[in-house]
Amino acid sequence: MNIAIDQTLDCKGLSCPMPMMKLAKAMKGMKSEEVLEMIGTDPGTKSDLPRWCNKSGNVLLDEGELEGGIFRFLIQKK
Amino acid sequence: MSDNKKEAGALGQLYKTFFAKHWPVWVGGIILGTLNILLFAIKSPWGASGGINNWGENLYSILGLFNLEDATPLISSNYGMLCLFLVIGSFIGALFSKEFALRIPPVGELIKGFIGGSLMALGATFGIGCTIGAFFSGMPALSGGAIIFTIGLFLGVIVALKYLMWEMEKFPGFSSGKSYSFFAGTGKKGNWQKWAGWIVLIITLYIAYQYSGNHQVLAWFIIIGMLMGLISQRSRFCIVKAFRDPFMTGESDGSVGVMAGIMIGLIGFTIIKYFGIAVGDVALRTREMTWIFSHFFFRAIIGGFVFGLGMTIAGGCAVGTLWRVGEGQVKLWASALGFLIISPISKLYIVPPIVEMLPASWDFKSYLPDYLGYPGAFALVTVIILIWYVFVKWNEKTGKFSAY
Repeated sequence: MNIAIDQTLDCKGLSCPMPMMKLAKAMKGMKSEEVLEMIGTDPGTKSDLPRWCNKSGNVLLDEGELEGGIFRFLIQKK
Repeated sequence: MSDNKKEAGALGQLYKTFFAKHWPVWVGGIILGTLNILLFAIKSPWGASGGINNWGENLYSILGLFNLEDATPLISSNYGMLCLFLVIGSFIGALFSKEFALRIPPVGELIKGFIGGSLMALGATFGIGCTIGAFFSGMPALSGGAIIFTIGLFLGVIVALKYLMWEMEKFPGFSSGKSYSFFAGTGKKGNWQKWAGWIVLIITLYIAYQYSGNHQVLAWFIIIGMLMGLISQRSRFCIVKAFRDPFMTGESDGSVGVMAGIMIGLIGFTIIKYFGIAVGDVALRTREMTWIFSHFFFRAIIGGFVFGLGMTIAGGCAVGTLWRVGEGQVKLWASALGFLIISPISKLYIVPPIVEMLPASWDFKSYLPDYLGYPGAFALVTVIILIWYVFVKWNEKTGKFSAY
């Protein structure tokens, strides 16, 4: 998937609630339709993030798992 | 041959149902509430801080410190073993779903884990209970003190959440920096985790079987503890989340999951207490007063507040800490370490002199049916849960109390 990324948020090693707090704060500072790439290692983010997108109206464009247990999400600001 | 293939397909589907995706939190809540009833039916309800305290006492016993040589050995302690196998159950759940990895966070997070765990130990020893004993089990046990402890928890969570937001704003570097991840189960290379999960499960069942001859209760505490860990890990059941998320992102799923568990527990606990159901010859009044602690109101409100601070900073209450230990989150290892190191010290040397200074009338055992009858006590707890439910759902829509 070829998507232009405007900002990357590194949450590797962090556990709940820090990834979601950092994500929510980062998204606040972005403009509409900009895309944030978030990478992290907390399995909880796999269920927290889609739920939060669903509630907040931001769009989860893509999610996947990289080598070494790293999760990657692409979120577009509404 | 084709039948065999079909059979494998069906089992594969079953395996995927449990381990491919996280379960809804309310499913976890309902099963945990049911297992809590079973624990109460065979002995006494779910608790976590007592078990971790037992770990700490055993540590000091080995080190020859604080005259704790007579501490109950871990292998004979119902709650020590319940907590241990909760960690192992979560480990099994993480392995089966290939979610296990040793996740080492930046140093600042490790410090927060240790401080959070220490605060939880102080809160649990002063408040006589944690989010499980004095809340998730305490509310269904129809305890007046549990309601007060819950108010304390809310206040502690709100203050600690404000702190976390302030820290993220002013000192973002504290939760940033070098982190490491080992033994992750990504891709086909990670299939070893599934095999390891089977091995740990079989060892657990073998240990429970070994206890089943002369220590039947302990054997069941091992099995139920293992199931509780596995279910908590798969459903991400988290009491901190239940209290915190409405004030953070506004989400209510975690809260609803906890409420579901409490309501199931409430039905089972009320029946057990009302009829005095027990294994062996136990007086009705003894059964009624199970999990009713002498902490109404002062020790409950202060203990709840301090515990709420600790669990929010650590990112997991006693149980949330334990199951995250099992999936390899090293921040929560620091939290468990802080908890087990501080708990016996607090119980022996910090809490007693403070309690001695308090007027005796400030803390007593408050059993709600003594004042309201069983229907009134049941209705009161139900109404409190309903008000909480309406609040989190309204807040989820409006975002009135959410930070983000």
